[in-house]
Amino acid sequence: MSKKPTAQPALHKVIMVGSGGVGKSALTLQFMYDEFVEDYEPTKADSYRKKILLDGEDVQIDILDTAGQEDYAAIRDNYFRSGEGFLCIFSITEDESFQATQEFREQILRVKNDENIPFLLVGNKSDLEDRRKVSFQEASERAKQWGVPYVETSAKTREHVDKVFYDLMREIRARKMEENKTNNGRGKDKSKKKKLKCTIL
Amino acid sequence: MEPSKEPTLNLLSSKDFVPEKYVRDLSQSLVGGPELRRLRKKIQALYEETNNNLKRNVYHNYMQFIDTAKEISHLESEMYQLSHLLSEQKALLAALSTTSILGDETPMITGAENKNDASERGDENRQKLASILEKVEGCKELLEVPGRTYLHEGDLLEVDPVDNNTIKTVHAYLFTDGFMTTYRNTNNRGLMKYVFEVMYELGSLAVVNVRDIGNNKHQFKLLIFPDTRVFQCTASSSKKEWLDKFDQAKKARLTQEQQKRESIVEKSPSRSASIESPSFNPFEDMEEDVGTIHPEWFIEIPEELDVCVAQRHFEEALIFLQKSKDYITQFVNTNGQPDHVIIDIQRKVELRHNNLTEVLMKELEVNPDKSQQGGLRAARRAVRLLNQLGRSTQSCDLFLKLCSSILKTQCKRVKRECSTAMYVRHLSSVVFTNMCHMTEEFLRAFPSSSSCSSAYVVWASNELSLFTSHFIKQVFMPQTSLSTLTECVVLVRSQCERLCSFGVDLCYQLDGALRTPLMQALKDTRDKSIEVAKLRALEDKWIPMNLRSKTGLARFLLQYSEMGLKLDDYVTGDIWIQLTNSTLVFAKLYLTLLNDCLQLETTELLHTINEVLYDVFEAQVRHVESSLRNEKQVEQRKFITKNADFLLVILQDLCQKKYKETIGFECESLHKLKKEYSALIKGVSPTSRSTKTKYSSEFL
Repeated sequence: MSKKPTAQPALHKVIMVGSGGVGKSALTLQFMYDEFVEDYEPTKADSYRKKILLDGEDVQIDILDTAGQEDYAAIRDNYFRSGEGFLCIFSITEDESFQATQEFREQILRVKNDENIPFLLVGNKSDLEDRRKVSFQEASERAKQWGVPYVETSAKTREHVDKVFYDLMREIRARKMEENKTNNGRGKDKSKKKKLKCTIL
Repeated sequence: MEPSKEPTLNLLSSKDFVPEKYVRDLSQSLVGGPELRRLRKKIQALYEETNNNLKRNVYHNYMQFIDTAKEISHLESEMYQLSHLLSEQKALLAALSTTSILGDETPMITGAENKNDASERGDENRQKLASILEKVEGCKELLEVPGRTYLHEGDLLEVDPVDNNTIKTVHAYLFTDGFMTTYRNTNNRGLMKYVFEVMYELGSLAVVNVRDIGNNKHQFKLLIFPDTRVFQCTASSSKKEWLDKFDQAKKARLTQEQQKRESIVEKSPSRSASIESPSFNPFEDMEEDVGTIHPEWFIEIPEELDVCVAQRHFEEALIFLQKSKDYITQFVNTNGQPDHVIIDIQRKVELRHNNLTEVLMKELEVNPDKSQQGGLRAARRAVRLLNQLGRSTQSCDLFLKLCSSILKTQCKRVKRECSTAMYVRHLSSVVFTNMCHMTEEFLRAFPSSSSCSSAYVVWASNELSLFTSHFIKQVFMPQTSLSTLTECVVLVRSQCERLCSFGVDLCYQLDGALRTPLMQALKDTRDKSIEVAKLRALEDKWIPMNLRSKTGLARFLLQYSEMGLKLDDYVTGDIWIQLTNSTLVFAKLYLTLLNDCLQLETTELLHTINEVLYDVFEAQVRHVESSLRNEKQVEQRKFITKNADFLLVILQDLCQKKYKETIGFECESLHKLKKEYSALIKGVSPTSRSTKTKYSSEFL
């Protein structure tokens, strides 16, 4: 198993959050395997890892597809703590799922204790325009209020699927470089440590 | 001939000596008997010499032999001791493990959670947990969480979450409330195969299934901030099992907690609101609260209890116990369920409680080394405390045992020196005075407990049985006269009645115990009296009694009038009484017998008494009857009739009067006797009477 003892490509940890049935797993699977899974089965918690080329740089993406129906707040906190960036998904066909994003946002901010955590508000199921319940404007306003980008995706048509993941990874990468800079080239370890402290506080 | 053929010690003990070959060579080279015989002699001599040498060697090393043997036996006994110690320790440990587990069964802890857990499942689980405890070093607290149940275990390979390199093999256990990882014990000694690493609380353990990509197969992740741990299973089936079990455990826990939360919310809505932020957030109310702060005195109670017990401040210990109990009940009442601190303290307090009880019970125990100087008074404190601890049954038991032992020693002090009556007087007074005292003490110690009262009654009855059996052995002997017997029995009865004032009436039991021996004694007395009557009859000359002097007569008359017999009518001259000696002696003896009988009287004995009274009286009357039959002289017949009249009228009337005074009615059997022999009074010779009576009278 120890196949690469040499320098590992940067690992970006992305977390999919959102209510149950909004298409977190569908988006993840589309991104990972270029396939759309029609059948719905509630996810417990799955993690994926993939090597990709981000702007000419080898990176690894680690996606944690969380359970929309996780019952334990403490467990959810642990999911969120492990993430470096968040895709907060709702379904444009379901207002409830949109309302729930508020709670997820608050919880993530509380756990990460960081207003500027890489975060994307994602309205999924854009292919189901006829059943839209959440207007683009409404969602954009909320994103604006949070200071995060808003993207509409379709796991079915693969519209903007790569974009949300790549955008988020760029944010994460930018964030990490910024931290590296403030630490004056002390390296990744240091930045990690600092991040730890923040979250503990 | 080679010189080597000569048998020597060197030759025979040399390494390459072969007996067969040697003998063959010898028989080949030697011809003739004498030579062979000479060799044989020589070998014999060698044999003897060796034997002697051996003996001498043994003798020389004799002391060493003995020392070694001693050493061995020493070693043996030490091994025995060691094994005994080990087995003791084993028993102790087993007891310890059961006690800590039994602690779980206190009603408060179990609560609503494991009600449907069948007890056998609980046992199984306990055993499993205990076996894990044995295998894993450093997880002593494993058993201390109530309701923890074993779910799953297995070997896992831990890999680095970043570069996926193997880190180590772990052996993991899943319980209903947590996930425990252990690693292999490197200094592989004993049963402890694994070393405890960490226990994760299931309520905050994020389990993530890792999708199989490339070489990363059959993995799952645990996110426990700040750690992320990745474990690799051997096969996808085992991974599935792990994830399923995790899921199962979480679900079970959730339903459990929901139940609990519901009950809390019902009871104290204010508490959760005060702890949590005011904004209602469906996530936030699921936060585990850190636990209430308990007052310091409560935390320190176990230690305080230890000190109190060690210093024999039992009352204080009791107050502490009560305080802690109150606190726990109050806490549970307000908060719905005890937290872990409470449970911990509760268990510790429970142990101290048991310890205290044991110490107190030791106090009460009857011990030959312990002086009984203080008597029951000294036991008061321990009894009272035990009662307060809710152990009245045990304390009652011990108290009564103590009473028995005190009674026994007291009885032993009563020496059998003087007459039986005196001895009985002493003994019964000691026994019953003590019993009265003990009853008093008992009523003071256990004022209103029916179970204790019944124990007391049983005890008292046992003590009485002990006493009566001793009494019977001492008093009911063939040579003891009925009068002495009566005196003793009456004494004991009156003593026994003292207990009645405490509401303990054992007289019935006493009478019951004495009934058989008394009947026997009465019958013996009857036989004896009849025997005496017969002897007297043989000597009866049918002459009036001569008192020899006036004073003698006066003394005699006084003596009889004291018994209730007026003899003045029978006096003739200065010194004569117109009754025979036999009649007068009989009257006296009979009155004594009657007195004894009347004193001994119980309803059960009445029949026997009547029989005895009849038989004894009849024996005398028969004598009169047979004398009359054989007497021809008119004068003499008249004298005999006069005696008969005295017996059947004067004496009978007196007897009936006395009988009636005590029993309440007149004696049937004496009536019958009087009727049967009424002819005698008229001076009629009883030849007309049935022959049967005649014959039987001749037998006497």
